Amino acid sequence: MTWYRQFDWLLIFCWVLLFSAGLVAIYSATLGPVSQFLPAYIQGNFLNQVVWIGISVIAMAAIQFTSPRTFQQISYALYVLCIILAIATVIWGTEAGGARRWLVIGGLRFQISEMLKLATILAVANYLTSRRDISAEHIGSALVAVVLMIIPSIIIILQNDTGTALVLLAIIPVMLFWSGLPYGISLFLISPAIIAYFSIIDWRLGVLATILLTVAIFFIQKRPWLTSSAFIVGNLVVIGVQLALNQILKPHQQARIEAFVNPALDPQGAGWNVLQAKTAIGSGGLWGKGFLEGTQTQLRFLPEQWTDFIFPVIAEEFGFVGAGLLLLVFAILLLRLLAIAGEHRHPFAQLVLVGVAMTFFVHLVINLGSAMGLFPVIGLPLPFVSYGGSAFLSYSIMLAICLNLHFYKRDFSIYS
Amino acid sequence: MTAMHLNKQEKRNDVSIRVLQVITISMMLIFAGRLFQLQIIEFETYGPLSLANSIRQENVSPARGLIFDRSGRMLVDNQPIYTVTVTPANFDSGAIPILAEYLDIAPEVIEERVQAARRYSWHRPSRLISDISFHRFSKMQENIWKLPGIGYHVESKRHYPTDIKGAHLFGYLSEVTQQEYRSSSRYSLGDKAGRSGIEFTYEQDLRGELGSRYIRVNALGQALGPFGEGHMGHTPVKGADIYTHIDHDLQLLAEDLMVGKTGGVVAMDPNTGAILALVSSPGFDVDRLSGRIDMEYWMTLNADTSNPLFNRAISTMQPPGSTIKPLMGLVGLDFGIIDPETEITCRGGFTLGRYYRCTRQHGRQNLVEAIQNSCNTYFFSLMNQTMNRVGLNAWHRHTSSFGLGQMTHIDLPHERRGILPDSAYYNTHFGGPRNWGIGDLISVGVGQGTFSSSPLQMALVASQLANGGYRVQPHIVDRIVYPDGSSVLNTPESERIPWINEDHLRVIQQGMRKAVSEGSGRFYADISGVEVAGKTGTAQNPHGIDHGWFISYAPYENPEIAIAVLVENAGFGSISAAPIAGLMMEQYFHGQIRRNWVYQYVKTFTPREREANSGTSSEENL
Repeated sequence: MTWYRQFDWLLIFCWVLLFSAGLVAIYSATLGPVSQFLPAYIQGNFLNQVVWIGISVIAMAAIQFTSPRTFQQISYALYVLCIILAIATVIWGTEAGGARRWLVIGGLRFQISEMLKLATILAVANYLTSRRDISAEHIGSALVAVVLMIIPSIIIILQNDTGTALVLLAIIPVMLFWSGLPYGISLFLISPAIIAYFSIIDWRLGVLATILLTVAIFFIQKRPWLTSSAFIVGNLVVIGVQLALNQILKPHQQARIEAFVNPALDPQGAGWNVLQAKTAIGSGGLWGKGFLEGTQTQLRFLPEQWTDFIFPVIAEEFGFVGAGLLLLVFAILLLRLLAIAGEHRHPFAQLVLVGVAMTFFVHLVINLGSAMGLFPVIGLPLPFVSYGGSAFLSYSIMLAICLNLHFYKRDFSIYS
Repeated sequence: MTAMHLNKQEKRNDVSIRVLQVITISMMLIFAGRLFQLQIIEFETYGPLSLANSIRQENVSPARGLIFDRSGRMLVDNQPIYTVTVTPANFDSGAIPILAEYLDIAPEVIEERVQAARRYSWHRPSRLISDISFHRFSKMQENIWKLPGIGYHVESKRHYPTDIKGAHLFGYLSEVTQQEYRSSSRYSLGDKAGRSGIEFTYEQDLRGELGSRYIRVNALGQALGPFGEGHMGHTPVKGADIYTHIDHDLQLLAEDLMVGKTGGVVAMDPNTGAILALVSSPGFDVDRLSGRIDMEYWMTLNADTSNPLFNRAISTMQPPGSTIKPLMGLVGLDFGIIDPETEITCRGGFTLGRYYRCTRQHGRQNLVEAIQNSCNTYFFSLMNQTMNRVGLNAWHRHTSSFGLGQMTHIDLPHERRGILPDSAYYNTHFGGPRNWGIGDLISVGVGQGTFSSSPLQMALVASQLANGGYRVQPHIVDRIVYPDGSSVLNTPESERIPWINEDHLRVIQQGMRKAVSEGSGRFYADISGVEVAGKTGTAQNPHGIDHGWFISYAPYENPEIAIAVLVENAGFGSISAAPIAGLMMEQYFHGQIRRNWVYQYVKTFTPREREANSGTSSEENL
């Protein structure tokens, strides 16, 4: 078998499709007729992205010549380095849109939090590989893994970047689940997120979700202490969310949540983003308004339309057909990554593949959910599509590592 | 690790992959479903919503109709004014201070107007400030990028190209109230509507129809030009032009002569009722009310005790005094109480329960002489006999057919009917039939007592005496010309007053001619070249100096113009009101003033305080 037949061209194909869709959307969102209302530096975004894609191609190619073991070997060092840089960002970073997430090195702006995701996945994968079986008896290993993932989350929260922190937190149950954490406990771990989501919409829905999840956990695990703690924690989450909504959260955060539940309440203020994004998507119809023809996009009704709200640009100008195709490409990419993980025999590779797939998945869910009004607006880019050079590079490196792991699947095995 | 362990591990991995795949696929299906819901099912909702976002409908106010005089000379037209608008949804209140600076207006005023605009609509532009100077406008326009939500347009305001003030004739306009624009599709916020004068009466015609246009806007509320090449929307329909009977020169002179005086002047064509000039004094400057309301000026007008907004020409209620004598004579002739030869001897007054004084001892007077000399005794006696023989109500019916005590239905708002008393009036105001009697009626016979009328009504009386006894309808507007070229003529019917006997009328006319040629009108109203007929009057004023009246028409044969003049607190009508009518007659017939000394006399006229005292003797009329 020649080398190129072992290479996963499907993933590459998806990657090319995604960044191409991204370039089209970024062009429309920054260099279309809308450009007259945009400052010059934003009009430069398209070329910047092209340059970063070029850099990413080189990086991805370079990674293919690396041995998969290298990733395992450098994982801890990379993790520590990224943590230090992340702390440096908290202290010396540049602010953008209220978040302190940029570190300027030699004139280039780096978003360390993006690299930190990769480093955390590698480090946790490496750690869990040495402790394969996490069950109720070996809960200590699980705790160490959780700590490894919570530390970067806290630093990122200090950077005021809630979205990225959520991504890291969301990977915790996935990684533990893959490493053998019992299904019941895994469900228990993610249940607070699900209950919180429904509690925001209506506290009664939260209670209902708690009851259903408790019943599910009981049937999966049949452990009284787990079932009862699931019920108690679930109800605490419902209460906590109500408290947070009314007491703890800052007014602008409360407004954002209210806007999610009922955007029509304040269409000019907090509800604006959701309403305009939904209007852009909805008015796209089946075929869309056409390239550079989207009124929402071109008349500046969409906020952050080259990054967080890039999906509405595509949905408006290319319609259900275009946006649907984009969803399909993402689905293929994710399912292919999961399939590669399933075929792979090395636990480190499996963990990294699952971790990367789920990172993309969480990005996708939060970004699309925000744009389509299914979640409160949380600022997260759409991988490979949104503008953002260092983020694009990070995602590409993640994908490159996945390609590498797949490519060297036979050489990189627990038997060798 | 053992092989068995590995198998178990692999089995577990397979399940885990399945779980993750199911989660991924279901989430993707949820998104696809949501996308389908938004883009396909709810497309009907969001499509129009995005259009409404980027397309803004703007009302386009029509050009208000023009007003012309009888010769086609333009009296009222429109002038561009620069108006600043605000779209509250895009407006940032933080910009108020800079805006205030550019416009040179107090920030509080802007704040208040923005609030008003919000109440009208968040998303449609409202007028913020009208009528700013071009200098201010251009300064703001340069900096408009700093002011999201602020726009502008060029509108028009009323402009008065001639020297005619026409305060009570044209009337003023003001912005429509919230109620008005809510209840009518013909107005939008900031539009102006006529509030007085013919601007009010003909509002529906002058107004025109609102147009609309669609423009593209961005999220910052900046207009990006017309939408759909202007095919959408519709152009406004210009208001109708109004051609009046107003005689420019005559109106201008009448206004000039009334400056500094209080009262009213009405000149009309006695054959048709067409108003040639109409002045109420003191007036006001409609020009200062035409653009942005000059609040200070408006307050001054309202606080002014001389009440300049009040249209004295058609709304004041003053006793007509001796100017009513010709009509009284005509009524007496018709009832057969007197004939032209009937003589009454004036010994300086009339006694009935008390003494009613005349101005002097006139001796034997027939009707013509009594009118010429304004002999009170004659008319006291006539009134007494009329009341005795036909009664008050028969007298009232005859007199009211000349339009006294009634609306003339002139095409101006706020007209008042005055008082022509009948028994019902006395019963109501004197507390029943037992509380009044002949003693209260004698003075009515010389236009005093409860009797009151306006200059318009007296001009109407003069006209109807002059035109052979035809009831005419006073009207200012001749025709309304619509933008499509069609026009509506305003020609009210005239109707013969049935009881009038032409021979009787002839006698009255002779008396009026003599009143001017030989009587009290001879000093100022007897102009050269034209035979003027008329009657002076001095209405008693218990509160101060008497009011001067003069009614007249000319030429004596085939009359073309009738003029009534009231000058309040000016003493004898012969020296206060008659000169004004005389000068207007000269202007009308000769196109110029030939007696400059009379003009100077009128311009510098000041009533003498003494006259008020001399008038304390009862029923002194001249």
